[in-house]
Amino acid sequence: MAKLTIDGKEIEVPDGTSLFDACRDARGEDLPHFCYHPDLSVAGVCRLCQVEVEGMPKLTIACNTGVRDGMVVHTRNERVTRASKQILEMHLINHPVDCPICDQAGECGLQNQYMAHGLYDTKVEKVDKVHKSKAQVIGPHVILDQERCVLCSRCVRFCAEVTGTGEMGIFNRGDRARIGTAPGVELDNDYSLNTVDICPVGALTSRDFRFQKRVWMLKAADSVCPGCATGCNVRIDHEAGRIYRLKPRYNPEVNGRWMCDKGRMTYKAVHDENRLGDPLVGGKVETWDGVAGTLAKLVGEGGFGLVVGSPYQSLEEIHLLKSLGKDAPLSGGLADSGQGTGDDLLQDADQTPNRKGLELLGVAQHDGPALADLIRNAAGSVLILGGDPAADPTVAAALTEKDSVIYVGTHGDKTAGLAKVVLPGCMWAEKAGIFVNRNGRLQEFKQAVARHGNAREDWRILSELMTVRNNPDVPGSLKGVRDELAGSVAADVDLNKLPARGFLPGGEAR
Amino acid sequence: MRKILVGMSTCGMSAGAKDTYAELEGLLPEDSQDELTITGCIGMCFREPLVEIREGQTRTIYGDVDPKRAAEIFETHIVGGQEIPEYVIYKTEKDEAVSGSELSFLADQERIVLRNCGLINPESIEDYESRGGYQATRKSIEELAPEEIVEEMKTSGIRGRGGAGFPTGLKWSFAAGYSGEAKYIVCNADEGDPGAFMDRSILEGDPHAVLEGMIICARAIGGTHGYIYCRAEYPLAIHRLQLAIEAARARGYLGENIMGSDFVFDITIKQGAGAFVCGEETALFASIEGERGMPRIRPPFPAESGVFGQPTNNNNVETYANVPWIINNGGQAYRSYGTEKSPGTKVFALAGKIAKGGLAEVPMGMTIEKILFGIGGGIKDGREFKAVQMGGPSGGCIPASLKHTPVDFENIPKTGAIMGSGGMVVMDDTTCMVDMARFFLAFTQEESCGKCTFCRIGTLRMLEILERITRGEGQLEDIDALTELGGRIKEASLCGLGQTAPNPVLSTIRYYMDEFTAHIVDHSCPAGNCPALVDFVIKAENCTGCSICAKVCPVEAISGVLKQPFIIDTEACVQCGKCLTSCNFDAIFKVGKKVAAK
Ligand SMILES: Cc1cc2nc3c(=O)[nH]c(=O)nc-3n(C[C@H](O)[C@H](O)[C@H](O)COP(=O)(O)O)c2cc1C
Ligand code: SF4
Ligand code: SF4
Ligand code: FES
Repeated sequence: MAKLTIDGKEIEVPDGTSLFDACRDARGEDLPHFCYHPDLSVAGVCRLCQVEVEGMPKLTIACNTGVRDGMVVHTRNERVTRASKQILEMHLINHPVDCPICDQAGECGLQNQYMAHGLYDTKVEKVDKVHKSKAQVIGPHVILDQERCVLCSRCVRFCAEVTGTGEMGIFNRGDRARIGTAPGVELDNDYSLNTVDICPVGALTSRDFRFQKRVWMLKAADSVCPGCATGCNVRIDHEAGRIYRLKPRYNPEVNGRWMCDKGRMTYKAVHDENRLGDPLVGGKVETWDGVAGTLAKLVGEGGFGLVVGSPYQSLEEIHLLKSLGKDAPLSGGLADSGQGTGDDLLQDADQTPNRKGLELLGVAQHDGPALADLIRNAAGSVLILGGDPAADPTVAAALTEKDSVIYVGTHGDKTAGLAKVVLPGCMWAEKAGIFVNRNGRLQEFKQAVARHGNAREDWRILSELMTVRNNPDVPGSLKGVRDELAGSVAADVDLNKLPARGFLPGGEAR
Repeated sequence: MRKILVGMSTCGMSAGAKDTYAELEGLLPEDSQDELTITGCIGMCFREPLVEIREGQTRTIYGDVDPKRAAEIFETHIVGGQEIPEYVIYKTEKDEAVSGSELSFLADQERIVLRNCGLINPESIEDYESRGGYQATRKSIEELAPEEIVEEMKTSGIRGRGGAGFPTGLKWSFAAGYSGEAKYIVCNADEGDPGAFMDRSILEGDPHAVLEGMIICARAIGGTHGYIYCRAEYPLAIHRLQLAIEAARARGYLGENIMGSDFVFDITIKQGAGAFVCGEETALFASIEGERGMPRIRPPFPAESGVFGQPTNNNNVETYANVPWIINNGGQAYRSYGTEKSPGTKVFALAGKIAKGGLAEVPMGMTIEKILFGIGGGIKDGREFKAVQMGGPSGGCIPASLKHTPVDFENIPKTGAIMGSGGMVVMDDTTCMVDMARFFLAFTQEESCGKCTFCRIGTLRMLEILERITRGEGQLEDIDALTELGGRIKEASLCGLGQTAPNPVLSTIRYYMDEFTAHIVDHSCPAGNCPALVDFVIKAENCTGCSICAKVCPVEAISGVLKQPFIIDTEACVQCGKCLTSCNFDAIFKVGKKVAAK
């Protein structure tokens, strides 16, 4: 341990801690910085994090200094403040200050630091700003404005150190230095939008988000990406029922500070024009009241001959499905649903969010022919919850033969086209729930936006079906489902109060 | 048998040594007993091409030997056996200087680094061996333990000659303390300071000395491979190094089982693309690795993690060239030169307004005056000594009033300049100090790698201010702005380039405030240099009234009566300078604006 004094405050930190982190601990906030990023190598180029260490003649950059026992450090004295002001002044001299049309405005490092530490009357006169290229499309997801760049090299380091793809570089020297991709190279890797997140200014912006919304109008909901089994923690930025973007949410146990580009685009399915907004009976739009009679006939009288779930549903929903399946065979849906290719970074080949949830609750999946057989042999109506199993032709063929299929789905997909009754459920962003990621970590997602049309939360739909079946397990609330579920998952965790980093039964060591 | 040596380094070649050599080659009969060969730079670049005739213990060096003079020397000296005293610039008998017009240039020098330069054929390993070459290597392998070599280096007290003056023995002991898959021995031959050519001359004149220094270093600290990073603009140096490496391999001084021991070491040359910042060692490492030559942050320091992340020792060319001498003669002997804190000698490149521009190696602690006036022969054309710039773009100017300053690592920094790598650019009264500061800053501004905020943007801001001042558009507050910005850049830059970039400006402000105020307040450049702030005037004593200037003036600003002194109407003059070049009688001068008005 090293004991040091920062701004008069004594703190003790483990040896090997960087002075940057020690200063944050002591100050309760970060030092001004552009180039430092906890997940990237130290560049030490922006020089904003300079502090005064007693006994050293020059100001020192905290990001590349290790703590030493007995260090006395000043981060807010006259000398330090003056230095950081001047650096910001330098940065602003070449900056276009086009904040009114910049997507970064509101979450911009330059804006924030300038407000906190800046000079309000710029002293250095400038002959002409150095002009560089603006609004340059550099890849499928990212757009670059060189003039806004502060040359912190975070994006360069990200592409070199995290993805290893090395698309970004700094070209030319001195004040001609500019960020970009080499001729003929595109910023085209599966994680390219992380560069937008780490760019402290508005030099790199998302093509998807560009000019969509001023960031201060957005509201945020904590969620989990449904794109694959990794379950990256995300924040859903939304406003007035619309999702504008997904941003990674820090979870050192799962995704650190990153997420993949594909995952970021998963929100698009929520606002897809193919979404189901009303119940359908025989392809005709019905009200919920209107569909009740049909359900009563199909389910109340005939009972369930088969209940089919999917790895896209939440843990709570699968649990309810199991209760429903008590009097009928149960399948977790198609075993090969959502298979893709993974990588070493975050993406998993399994592109469903909750296959581990099925496993946890002991719900087996089936291949196409096996599921088709189950459907054919079902004595009673077939209930399918999500997953569009009819995407498999053998399953589709089996479903065509049945006229008592009930499908709880979100989109007008193949299965919806074959089912007798279609009930509109919610997408993940419209409801709360728990996904179990590939490592068995239970992670909660919260509702971000209002339900589409007349869609209902899946747990409610299932509980209504239970009522129709006179099933005594009908839950009164999602909380109730979770309390009930807790026992079958892990006795010692309250599923209604999952920790922010999720819960791994058996502990972190796994 | 006599030896005829023609100085064939870059300096000699650019003075026409090739033609001289060809002339002599043509004249020398096939069956001649005499041997015609080449040699490196002896330092007297101002008298190139040089031809030496060596007979027994007598060396006679002729200066300014163009083909015509070569023929004359051939007839009279080589055929006739008579020396031509008027052309002899330097003559020694048994290593004692006896005569010659340039005796004074070499008299006060002590040649350790340049011990072989101008004496041997740099392309002949036998020549090098005949002067004790590779004996230090043998001693290091057969007689000394690695720690003893490092100890000897520490005893010598030698400090790095690349600019920063870090004690070399200490540096070696750091690198010795780390181990890795490999350990690299790097020689910095990037030599990017404008006006510096010490390293080039060493490499061209005595390449084996540098190789030997590196081999000994490798032996001392466990080096596994060597890199010489040489700027591509030095093709001759690279060529001679390549020859030297091949010859050393053939002799078993490089490669496997060096001198029959189990010591393995080899050297590769890497060519640099000529960016100044690539001379900064961490940028140089990046460049060796094939990356962009950009400085890297430290720690980690090179001793721990340098080239390819492996322990690395980097020294300058001149530092390595000293090593064999130190091993042969002992660290204590080295200490007998120079001063307590700066032992040994240093090679300087004298350039600018100096009478005898060239290379000189002197003991540390010699005064500026003795170097410039004793060795360098004073100021060109007998003008007034104004200042000397040391350390190039990282250094500063030292005014004439401080000419008694001893040149060493203690005293030069006190003046605001730095020792640097050894460039001394001499300025006379026609040099505008503001413009000089602007020149060096323009250089660093252009060469900044652009990583650090202040170095990238701050230097440009300073340059803009200086340009404004030289145009006469400055304000007095600009000086504060320059000082403030300069301090920031020095403090807040990652590498030595930024940390020293403001030095030329800050030291000029320190000593030549009056020139700044003349530019700003009087709109006048006292040295008559900055175009917007000068007047063209005719000196009546020199003017013959020939009227040629009036004829060339495009705006008819010159008038007068034939055979009487003419006059320039400074209001009408557009400073095109045509009259100045047209005058045959040196009657037209540029002077600071106000001076003319007074
Ligand atoms: C911008 C810059 C340029 C440099 N250029 C050179 C150079 O051309 N040659 C050199 O030997 N050292 C140069 N140096 C110094 C090297 O970084 C390093 O200190 C030196 O090579 C160490 O060798 P020494 O200890 O033998 O002096 C430069 C430093 C900076 C900051
Ligand atoms: S584009 Fe952004 S992240 Fe990349 S160097 Fe510039 S400011 Fe930094
Ligand atoms: S000080 Fe200048 S040259 Fe050195 S790393 Fe910084 S920007 Fe590059
Ligand atoms: S954050 Fe430390 S130098 Fe940029």
